Amino acid sequence: MEPGTEMEVRLWGTRGSIPSPGPETIRYGGNTSCVGVTLSDGSLLALDAGTGIRNLGLSLPDEPTRLHILLTHLHLDHIQGLVFFAPAFRPQTEIVIWGPASPEASLRDRIGRYISAPLSPVEVRELPCDVSFRHCPETEWEIGSARIHAASVAHRGPTLGYRIEDGDRSLAYIPDHEPALGADIDALEEDWISGFALARDASLLIHDGQYADREYPEHVGWGHSSLSHALSFARRTNAGQTVLFHHDPMHSDEQLDQLGEEAKQAWTALGGEPGGIELGVEGAKYEPHARVPSATSAG
Amino acid sequence: MSQRPLELILARNLMSALSTPAFLVDEGGILVFYNEAAGSLLGKRFEELGTVGPDEWGSLFGPFDGEGEPIPYDELPLVVAVRNGRPAHSTFAIRSTDGTSHTVEASAFPILTAHGSQGAIAVFWPAATNGTGH
Repeated sequence: MEPGTEMEVRLWGTRGSIPSPGPETIRYGGNTSCVGVTLSDGSLLALDAGTGIRNLGLSLPDEPTRLHILLTHLHLDHIQGLVFFAPAFRPQTEIVIWGPASPEASLRDRIGRYISAPLSPVEVRELPCDVSFRHCPETEWEIGSARIHAASVAHRGPTLGYRIEDGDRSLAYIPDHEPALGADIDALEEDWISGFALARDASLLIHDGQYADREYPEHVGWGHSSLSHALSFARRTNAGQTVLFHHDPMHSDEQLDQLGEEAKQAWTALGGEPGGIELGVEGAKYEPHARVPSATSAG
Repeated sequence: MSQRPLELILARNLMSALSTPAFLVDEGGILVFYNEAAGSLLGKRFEELGTVGPDEWGSLFGPFDGEGEPIPYDELPLVVAVRNGRPAHSTFAIRSTDGTSHTVEASAFPILTAHGSQGAIAVFWPAATNGTGH
């Protein structure tokens, strides 16, 4: 994308938990979490580094590149693609990897547990690119033309959600999230809902939608949302468009089609605008629109 | 971008499911939640009271020592926990809205995160004895 245009978003991996390639998942995709974002000034972001980041890397030209990888957390389905990310093996590439802090070890050391023997053929220090690791600050910071805000969200282990504001467009990315754990999301005040401030009035919300409602009772506390919880979260935050993400690896394309229909019907029943909800499809592109803040959430 | 810290959100969710009276204050000592069991003890649900500042919630319900004298705010377990980042335990009496006095034991512990103290939790039990101390 040429600088001067608006933010562009592309889904490179929409699956949760484990890669699930095969004929039954070919339409929604089998690669795990990765979203590419091109900011209005041309800066490149990758949100998570699941196996989807491999194809993102292959799409980039073989020329000096600087990009930022924003990790929500370090579960394998969000970092597995790092050692297969072609730009990381070019000396002319500069990569800044952002992620959650932990009292236990630095981000570099924690990621190094994966990018090291015997799990990986290369070590972090052997990567030809210029790679650095940074803990996400509590306050907002800038990358290129965007302001980035990270906040802890309800999942298993230290996990972040992100909000990326570029001009009058905003993207909220909360792929692993269980905001209704132990709580009635419809009854809570806004500031007591995990991740609410990240998603409030976002142009585009990419959110966990792993389980059908009938599946959720068997997965309470696993760190993911039921369809109803995801929709309630999206409605209450007044997101402009919501993409349900982190599909369960057991869900075939046919099952996801059915889940998508359930989502649309439930969305309409909640008063949502037609077209405001859809399931993430690997390869899908979005150009988020400017969003008018809701009366209740303005200010 | 105002948002409660996740640790407070999760603490509130847990406390909501407990049958033990439990109180939650934020890093500034503001009482931001207590559960139904605590509401039964105090005679007033949290939803009726709402958030109250540290200089206010103490006077609403006491606490009092064995002689019926108010306990200095700085000595309350919740305040010790949130200010000093240390656990604290105490026995004292509190007064319900109907005037009933209850002697309780209170244990408070701070909520410490990678970003520092986010608040504190106190859990109350009926006192094993009528003694008062800190």
